[in-house]
Amino acid sequence: MHNHTPRQGQERFVAPAVSSELPALHVDTSHPPESQWKQAWKALRRNWLFWFSASLLVIILFVVFFPNVLTSVDPRSADLSHSLGKPQAGHIFGFDRQGYDVFSRTIHGARASVIIGLLTTIIVTIIGLFTGALAGFFGGWLDTIVSRGADIFFAIPLLLAAIVGLSALNNVWPDRGYWGGVFAVVIALAVFGWPQITRIARGAVLEIKHLEFVDAARSLGASKWRNLFTHIIPNALPPVIVTATVSLGVYIVAEATLSFLGIGLPPSVVSWGNDIAAAQPQVRSGDNLHVLFFPAGALAITVLSFMLLGDAVRDALDPKARK
Amino acid sequence: MWRYIVRRLLQTIPVILGATLLIYALVFLQPGDPIVALFGEKPVSDAVRAELEAQYNLDQPFLIQWLLFLKGALVGDFGVSYSGQPVSELIGRTLPVTFQLAFMAMIIEAILGVIAGFYAGMRRGKIFDSTMLVVSLTVIAIPIFVLGFGLQLIFGVQLQWVPPTVGSDTSFTNLILPAVVLGLVSFAYVLRLTRTSVIENLTADHVRTARAHGVSDSLVNRRHVLRNSLIPVVTFLGADLGTLMAGAVVTEGIFNINGIGNLAYQAILRGENPTVVSVVTVMVLIYVVASLLVDLLYAALDPRIRYA
Amino acid sequence: MVNQTPLLEIENLHINFSVDKRQVHAVQGLNLTVYEGQTVAIVGESGSGKSTTAHAIIDLLPGTGHVAQGSIKYQGKDLVQLQQKKRRSYRGSHIGLVPQDPLSNLNPLYKVGAQIKEVLEVNDVVKGRDADQRVIELLEEAGLPDAQRRAKQYPHEFSGGMRQRALIAAGLAARPQLLIADEPTSALDVTVQKQILDHLDVLTDELGVAVLLITHDLGLAAERADHLVVMYKGEVVESGPALEILQDPQHQYSKRLINAAPSLQSERLASRERIAARESAQEHVSEDGQSLTDDIMQIQNLTKVFKLPGKGFTKTDLVAAQNVNFDLTRGTTTALVGESGSGKSTVARMVLGLDAPTEGQVYFEGVDISTIKGHGRQMKFRRRIQPVFQNPYASLDPMFSIFDAIEEPLVVHKTGSRSEREQRVRQLLDQVSLPHSAMNRYPNELSGGQRQRVAIARALALKPDVLVLDEAVSALDVLVQAQILELLNELQVELGLSYLFITHDLAVVRQIADNVLVMRHGKVVEQASADNIFTAPAVEYTQDLLAAIPGRDIQLAG
Repeated sequence: MHNHTPRQGQERFVAPAVSSELPALHVDTSHPPESQWKQAWKALRRNWLFWFSASLLVIILFVVFFPNVLTSVDPRSADLSHSLGKPQAGHIFGFDRQGYDVFSRTIHGARASVIIGLLTTIIVTIIGLFTGALAGFFGGWLDTIVSRGADIFFAIPLLLAAIVGLSALNNVWPDRGYWGGVFAVVIALAVFGWPQITRIARGAVLEIKHLEFVDAARSLGASKWRNLFTHIIPNALPPVIVTATVSLGVYIVAEATLSFLGIGLPPSVVSWGNDIAAAQPQVRSGDNLHVLFFPAGALAITVLSFMLLGDAVRDALDPKARK
Repeated sequence: MWRYIVRRLLQTIPVILGATLLIYALVFLQPGDPIVALFGEKPVSDAVRAELEAQYNLDQPFLIQWLLFLKGALVGDFGVSYSGQPVSELIGRTLPVTFQLAFMAMIIEAILGVIAGFYAGMRRGKIFDSTMLVVSLTVIAIPIFVLGFGLQLIFGVQLQWVPPTVGSDTSFTNLILPAVVLGLVSFAYVLRLTRTSVIENLTADHVRTARAHGVSDSLVNRRHVLRNSLIPVVTFLGADLGTLMAGAVVTEGIFNINGIGNLAYQAILRGENPTVVSVVTVMVLIYVVASLLVDLLYAALDPRIRYA
Repeated sequence: MVNQTPLLEIENLHINFSVDKRQVHAVQGLNLTVYEGQTVAIVGESGSGKSTTAHAIIDLLPGTGHVAQGSIKYQGKDLVQLQQKKRRSYRGSHIGLVPQDPLSNLNPLYKVGAQIKEVLEVNDVVKGRDADQRVIELLEEAGLPDAQRRAKQYPHEFSGGMRQRALIAAGLAARPQLLIADEPTSALDVTVQKQILDHLDVLTDELGVAVLLITHDLGLAAERADHLVVMYKGEVVESGPALEILQDPQHQYSKRLINAAPSLQSERLASRERIAARESAQEHVSEDGQSLTDDIMQIQNLTKVFKLPGKGFTKTDLVAAQNVNFDLTRGTTTALVGESGSGKSTVARMVLGLDAPTEGQVYFEGVDISTIKGHGRQMKFRRRIQPVFQNPYASLDPMFSIFDAIEEPLVVHKTGSRSEREQRVRQLLDQVSLPHSAMNRYPNELSGGQRQRVAIARALALKPDVLVLDEAVSALDVLVQAQILELLNELQVELGLSYLFITHDLAVVRQIADNVLVMRHGKVVEQASADNIFTAPAVEYTQDLLAAIPGRDIQLAG
C-alpha cells in the first residue's frame, strides 16, 4: 500500500450527494400484480406469431363446428360425371375422381383431423402428467414401474405401433362408423403416445421437488399430496403444455398417414387423410393436382397453426427464451 | 463403465420382454381364426388344422406361445410365416435395404440439419433464420407421403434425375431420393434443436471467456459453440433411428422398395401374424441397441457424464 | 517517478442497453485511470455497472449493450474508435481476463491444458509441443500442484479453486499488461479465496501486470488495491486512494457501504438487548405453561451417512456429518459455520426433521423428534420450528402470490377464519417492514431482499420458537444483508426467538451469533462463544478462517 500524492487521473473524487437511497422496501404499485401466467400471457400478446396462429385456429375451429355455414354441398354426394372436374363457379375447388365436391370435403374433413388431434393430446397429457408426476415425486418402485412401462411403449415406433393397434381394433370392432372410427385412431395414438409426456413431466418434477420452497412447505407439515398438487404440479406444467401443443400437430399428421395407409379412418369418414390417400393416382400421373392440393394444404395449415402456437407458447413460458 | 453397461443392459431386458409381449397380445389376442384367414373360405380338414395349429403353436396357451416365440427369437429363429417362408429369411432379405436407407437418411438429416441449424442460430432473427424456421415447420406440417409424392413427381417423373420407383435395384443412387424423403421430418427437428442449442451456447460464459482470451470469432464458433451444441443433437439422432425404421413403412411404399417397412405393412394387412411380431421385435431391438450406443457415445462426447 | 502515461484511461464513459427501442443507461460518465503495475478496484453492488464497465473495455458487452459516449484509451490509443478486428487483437495479448464464476467459464468438453494451449496459440506465443510444455509451466505458476497430470484432466475433475487457478493461468498466458479480474473469487470458499488472491498478488507483482479488480467486497478491495472506485447505479460516487476512502469516506453511499460491510465490523448487533431477548423468550414459554428448560433444543451425536455408488458394484459411505453435539439456548443464536461440504446444511435439514439422522438424536424441549408420531403431534412440532432458506429466488413458490405464501402456513395448520388469516398476514408484513401493497404481488415482482423478508414473515406465521436460517443472507447485497440481519435481531428481541444460523461467512457470524460451531468435513472442530471465537480462536482452522476475512486488518477511523 502506497501513500504518496495521487497520480494524474487518480485524485480524490467525491460525487455530489445525490439520491443514493437505501434499497427501498417500496413496492412498485404503478401496474397491477402479475402472476407468472399473467406475465406469460403478456409476453404472448406481444408476439405476432401468437396472433397469427391463434386467428388461424379460430377459423379452423369455426370450420370444425359449423361446416354447413360455409358450404351447403353434401360431401358424400358423388356425381361421377363430374369426375376430376376443374374448379368452377359454385365448386371453387373442383371435383375429385369420385365426383365429390372438393371444397365441401375439405371443409367437412377438418372435423376428424382436429378432433383426433385435440382428443389424443388431452388424453396423452392427462395420463402423462399424472404418471410422470407420481413417478418423479415418489420415486422408488413406483418410479421404476412407470419409467420401465414408458420405455416399453416408447420402444415401439409410434407409427408402427399405431398400425398394429388399429389393425387389431379392426378385427375386434369392424364396423365402427364415424365416431367409432375417430375414437379408434385416438386410442391407438394415445396408447403409444403418453410416454413422451410422462418423461417430460417426470423430469420437471424431479427438478422442482428439490427446490427450497418445497422444503419450506414440508417444514410446515404440509402433506405430500398438498405439496404435489399445490406446489409441484403447477410448476411442472409449462414444459408439459409446450410439448403437448407441438405434439397436437404431430398427431394430426399421424392420423393422415394412417388413413393414407388405409388403416386409419374408415373410407366412409370424410377426412383430409382419406382424401389425400384417394388422390394418389393423380399424384402419380401428375395431372389434376387440385384433388391433392386442397386437402393437403388444409392439413398443412392446421398443423402449422398448432406448431406456431406451440412455439409462441414456449417463448412466453420460458423466461430464458424470452430474452 | 462396465457397471454402467451391465446396468443399462439389465434395464433393457424388461423393455424388450414388455414390448414383445405387448405386440404379441395385440396381434394374437384377437377373436378370429388365423387358420381361416390362411385358407380363406375353403374348408379345412381337422387333421390339417391340427397339424397347422401345432406348427404355429396355436394349440398352446397365449403366454406359452409368446415364450416359445422368444425362445426361437433368441437364436434368430422367428418361425415360419403362414405363407410358408421362414420369417428370419424374410427379415434377412429386407432389413439390410432398410438399414441402408435409414442410415443414408440419418447422414443427410444430420449433416444438413446441423449446418442449417448452426447458421440459423448464428444469424438469429435474420432472413436465413426465419426462412429456415418456416421451412422446418412446413416440412413437419405436411404429411411425409405428400412430400414424398411431390418429390417423386418432380425429380423422378418430370426431371427424370432418378428413377421414380426403386424396386429390386437398391443401389446408392437409387436410394438417394427415398432417403431424402425419409429424413426430411427429422431434418427439421435436427435443425430446430441445433438452432436452439447454438443460441444457448452463444451466450455461455466460457464462450465469452474464450473471446476475451483473444480467440477469433470463427474459431470460437467452431470449437466452442458448434462442438457444445452437438451433444443434444447426438441424443436425438439415436432415438431417431427407431422413428426412421417406422417411417420406412410409408417411404418404402411410395418408392416401392422391398425393405422391412414394406414387409411389416404387407404382413399387417394380410394378417401374417408371425411376420408382424417378428418385424416389430427386430425394430424394438434396433431401438434399444441404438439408445444404448447413443448413451455410450454421449459419454464419449461429454466428459462430464460419468457411468454411475 | 515512473512512466507517467496511464496504461488505461477511461474518460466520461457511457454505456447503454437498448430495451424495447428505449435506451437504458447502465454506466454514466465513468472516469478511471490505471497505471502500469497498479491494482485498481471498482467496488459496487449488483447492478452498479462494475462488470459492464469491465466488459466494455474488452468489447464483450452482452446483448444490446454498447458504448454510447466517451473513450477507453489503452496506452494512449482509444479502443472505442478501433475497428472490431483491430480491437480483438488487444484481447488476451494486451488485456487479460479472469472471469467471475470458475464453474461456467471453462468449456466442459475440453481438457484444461488444451484450453490454455488455445490461448497461447491464438496469441502466437508458442505452438505445438513447446506450447504443451508452456501450459504446464503456466499452471505451476498459477499455483496448481501436479500440473503435468492436471493439464490432461477435464474441468469437472477440478475443484472450484483449481479451476480458478487454471483461469488465472489462461488469463496471464499471453502475458497481458492489464488483467481484468471480475469478482475472481466470489464463488469460492474464504480460505481458498485468500490463497488465490495472495497468489495473484505475488504473480502480478512479479510480472508487473496491472490489475483492474471488480468486486462487491469493500474490505477485499481496500486490502488489495492502491486506488478505489466506488460505483452506485452506473455512476462513480467516490474514488481515490483505497485506504483514504476506507478511513475517511466522504460520500453518503460509501459511508453506508463501509458501515454495512460485515468483514469490517466488530460487534454483535443489538448486543445490549440480548439479555432482554432471553428474558422475553422465557416469558414466552411460561405463557404456554410448559416446563421451562433453558435449552430449547439439544442435538446429540448427530450423524448422517449417505450411500454413494463406489467402484464396481459396491457402495461407499459419505459421512456428511459426524457426532455433532450442541445445545440451542432459548432466545439466543447459535451459528454453524463451515465452508462448502462441511456438512452444515445436512445438520440443518436433520434439525428441521426434513432428513432422518443415521445416528443420534434431536431433542426439542426434551422430546426426541424422531419419536413424535401421529399427525396431530407432528403438526404441533412443525409449527414451532421453521426454516428460512438461502436462495430468495427459489424459496418462494413463483406461482403463489405474497399473500398466498404467507397465508399457507395458516391454511395448512387450519388456523383462524379467512378474515383472521388476512389480518395475521398484514400483521406479519408489518413485522418484516413490508408495505401491505406487497400482498397481492408475486415473488418475481420483488427484489431479493424483499423476498427474503417475505420468507421470514412466512416462517413467523405460526409463531415458532426456533428459526433455522440456512445461509439466509448469503445471496444478498451488503446493504440489504445488513438490513435483514438487523431485522432478524429485532425480531429475536421482540419475539424471543432462538436462531440456528447456518453460514459460510464468518464475518456475518460476528453480527448475529452468541455461540459458534465451526464445522469442517462433517465434524465440529471448534465450539465456543462468539466472543471467544473471534478473540481467541483455539483451532488452527478457525484461525485460518478468521485470517481469510478480507479487510480484517484494516484500521477504520472512529
